[in-house]
Amino acid sequence: MGELFQHLINTLVLGGTYALLGIGLTLIFGIMNVVNFTHGILYTFGAYVMFIVVQKFELNFFVALPLSIASGWALGALVELTLLRPLRGSDIDTTMLVMIGAWIAMQSATLWVWGGVAKSVPTPFPDAPLEIGPVSVSWLRLFVLVAAGALIVLTYILINRTRLGSAMRATFQDQDTAALMGVNVNLIYTSTFALGSSLAAAAGALLGPVYVVYPAMGDLAAVKAFAIVILGGLGNITGAVIGGFILALAEELGAGYISSGYRDAMGFLIIIAVLIFRPTGLFPRAERVG
Amino acid sequence: MMRTLRTASLIAAATALLMGTASAETIKIGVNEPLTGAFAASGTYVVNGAKIAADEINAKGGVLGKQIELVIEDNKSNPTEAAAVAEKLITRDKTPVMMGAWGSSLTLAVMPKLMEYEVPMVVETSSSGKITTTGNPYIFRISPPSAIEAAAFGKIVDKLGLKKVDFLVINNDWGRGAAEDFGKMMKAKGISVGLVETMDQGAQDMSAQLSKLKGSDSETIIVTAAVDQLTLLFKQAAALGLKKQIITTGGSQNPDQIIAQAGAAANGTMHLTTFLPWFPDKTPNPEATTYFVSEWKKRGFDFAGCTESFRGYDGIRTAAAAIEKAGKAEPAAIKAALWDIKLKGLNGDIAFQKSGPAGKESGQSQPNVYLIEIADGKVAMKDL
Amino acid sequence: MKLLLSIVVVAALAAVPLWLSDPYLLNALITTGIFVIGAMSLNLLLGFTGQLSLGHIAFFGIGAYVSALTSLGFSVSLPFGLHVVHEPWPPLAGFAIAVLVSGLCGYLVGRLSFRVRGAYFVIVTISFAEVVRLVALNWVELTQGPLALTSIPPMQVGFPGLGEFVFRTKLHNYYLVLGVAVACYLLIARLVRSHVGRAMRGLMENETLAVSIGIDVTKTLTLAAVVSAGICGGAGSLYAHYIKIIDPEVFAFINTVTMVIMVITGGKGTLAGPVVGGLIFGLMPVALRPVMAPEAQWIAYGSALIVILFIMPRGIVPALMQWFPRMKPVTAPGFAKRGVEESA
Repeated sequence: MGELFQHLINTLVLGGTYALLGIGLTLIFGIMNVVNFTHGILYTFGAYVMFIVVQKFELNFFVALPLSIASGWALGALVELTLLRPLRGSDIDTTMLVMIGAWIAMQSATLWVWGGVAKSVPTPFPDAPLEIGPVSVSWLRLFVLVAAGALIVLTYILINRTRLGSAMRATFQDQDTAALMGVNVNLIYTSTFALGSSLAAAAGALLGPVYVVYPAMGDLAAVKAFAIVILGGLGNITGAVIGGFILALAEELGAGYISSGYRDAMGFLIIIAVLIFRPTGLFPRAERVG
Repeated sequence: MMRTLRTASLIAAATALLMGTASAETIKIGVNEPLTGAFAASGTYVVNGAKIAADEINAKGGVLGKQIELVIEDNKSNPTEAAAVAEKLITRDKTPVMMGAWGSSLTLAVMPKLMEYEVPMVVETSSSGKITTTGNPYIFRISPPSAIEAAAFGKIVDKLGLKKVDFLVINNDWGRGAAEDFGKMMKAKGISVGLVETMDQGAQDMSAQLSKLKGSDSETIIVTAAVDQLTLLFKQAAALGLKKQIITTGGSQNPDQIIAQAGAAANGTMHLTTFLPWFPDKTPNPEATTYFVSEWKKRGFDFAGCTESFRGYDGIRTAAAAIEKAGKAEPAAIKAALWDIKLKGLNGDIAFQKSGPAGKESGQSQPNVYLIEIADGKVAMKDL
Repeated sequence: MKLLLSIVVVAALAAVPLWLSDPYLLNALITTGIFVIGAMSLNLLLGFTGQLSLGHIAFFGIGAYVSALTSLGFSVSLPFGLHVVHEPWPPLAGFAIAVLVSGLCGYLVGRLSFRVRGAYFVIVTISFAEVVRLVALNWVELTQGPLALTSIPPMQVGFPGLGEFVFRTKLHNYYLVLGVAVACYLLIARLVRSHVGRAMRGLMENETLAVSIGIDVTKTLTLAAVVSAGICGGAGSLYAHYIKIIDPEVFAFINTVTMVIMVITGGKGTLAGPVVGGLIFGLMPVALRPVMAPEAQWIAYGSALIVILFIMPRGIVPALMQWFPRMKPVTAPGFAKRGVEESA
């Protein structure tokens, strides 16, 4: 029984970070129709900014976090302006491949600058875990869960309660009409990509200290983010959040009770099953973003 | 990276000039290691160790009166590339002997090329049993396969008083091999074996596996993984309140990196390792160990990398010794000479014994294995 | 004109070993050729039906494993007390079975995933490849898992009355790969010019219209998937018998990415595209190796990809056809538009 509770707690903590990874990607995918292969490298980027600020500049963990998010925003905007804007109107395959090129180049640049040896980031949280009866969880992970939850709520508010958000939603529904109504579509695209990227960087900055920081850390994260987006439906933030928790649950229980060798297969098996029975995802493509 | 490469070539050029003569006439040794991709960090360590050996040998006058030259190529952590690199080193650069290729799947992919061109290779890291048992007479391995490690551990395991162990291993040849060989050895010693859990190469979250292990009735977990995953494991085990005894195997632990990164979570863990850079006195070759460690530090590399890079150092010295013994830089002569060499490696005598099917045996050296413990954030020999 | 060009290209490729004796470059050409075959099969799906498979390496890997296991033999225990023992068969049988089994997998994935399109199809194929990789990794009794299948015999062909021919040297394998590549090229060319091929392109251009004129969507797409997967499985078989060792690393995502790069930079939906893109991106690492540091090689590779797509968003072959209009083929009436030129 204790083991089951422990698995459920693990699910909660893991699911929160999966959700954070998923919502950034689902926004970009849903609004811009771009298969964004740089999502993983932005996750890595966020983690490295965290590492540099904490380790090299010796600033506080809580100062580094917003800096990482802001840097993610800036890098995302840069990628959009230089690589995606000139290709506006191109095929989805072409933009995807450009994103793949950027991913390969940026990941190799990270390896070149920092080397392949994994770095770890110190945090102000105590080493001893919080223990409640048979289950235990580290303070850092609890903080990550809370921070992820806060960022998800903030994103939700941004999309649903601000002018920028309503312009995004309008663009998502019908780009041409939105443009006619005076929405600056280019600005919306750049903002969307920057927002999605900053969320990926936030996930990296939060998880870098939990795990370790190295150049290829984003690859697995990106694959999981794609799975979450599909589970939740394109452009569906709520769906991505639920998808994140479902994926985490499947992995935990799969590894705990079936076979750890097939742990990572669980998520993919669910996706295949879902798409057989509900071809548009668990939560069909939203009529609006949000 | 670029800088170190450049510096190295500058040093090589400068030494060649100083030596005056042999600049055109060098003896080449091929180095086939992962410098990009998943194993980039480890491959780079091994290459840096190899360079120390080459510079040391050249400073002492080289072999057969000529300087040795390392031809270093990146196999991109990809078996197809590893085979292509072997092809290049042999046919383009005409290297009469090679060292490589870190991971077992990379080495296995190179092996058909060795048969094809009849060029010997010193295997410095790979642990898969298959490498020395499939009948490839061009393979000379200085790293211990898990069966040797398990047998070495078998000699001291009684003193640890183990009753029941679980395994948590990386899901590749290395981890699977360790689980099998250590499991067999444990059973023979009357220790029962419980769960065998695996984690994917590159997996970062092992909480699910650890939660399962927390609930089992074993008192010890045997772990096989490289340093990055070990660090994560210790942190996550601590976070889950898992208080079992942990013993790691495989020799890629870099205990200093674990201490630096996992902190208190690493205390009390034990590690089977093949090199003792912390205690040069206790190694079979204290003088060489002291030299290697000081040279490593002098070049500004992370001390933690020593437990990985010493293999590159030993590998190149092995190859150079064979060239010297052969009297000429030709593959067939070097291959024959590899059987006769005996040199003091950093982790024991390097001398090859026959392994595999009769008539086409591979060479296998028997390195030492040590048990160390991390206590109060420091590495200590485990008192038995 | 175009026929002439094709003959010249094939003759030039066939003549390469006459002046190129460097085994390292020949080896690079062989592995590139194997991936070009994979890329051509991917192009059949991506370029002619518009479905992007990001798990195409699954078929390649299945082909490699099936062919290797057929020629090595195996013994596995299955549930319900079943025990299967297979004695080694000749590699050629392995090749044939690899094509069949991969084709069958293509059928299953096709049936399953053509219910979903676009991004969903992409993810189904990624998921499929990951699941297959994990099976190869964990079903140790059959595949030896991460311990790898080794000592795979070279490809050999038996001629009645003449004995066996073993593809032992690089030269043999070069012509084997070239021969298979030309055969696959002709097969794909024939298929896309047939009635079914027109139906495929019709679907890609305007599905509603295509359905209204009586094109059976699922049947057409499934056929494309079966042929595509079968060819890719054949490429995998060639790979296994040439490299002589396979392990689950063969399913690495970067291998799928390599094929996608070959197809899209070359020009999807053109027959020559994957060949042009394949030769460029297959041989680029060889050209970069001596000139820069390992990490820089990857940066250059990624940047080259971006630059090519910036200059030629639809790929090299369509761009060349635009710049040299005389090369432009006669387009199929009705559906030809936007990136679906038929060419040799």
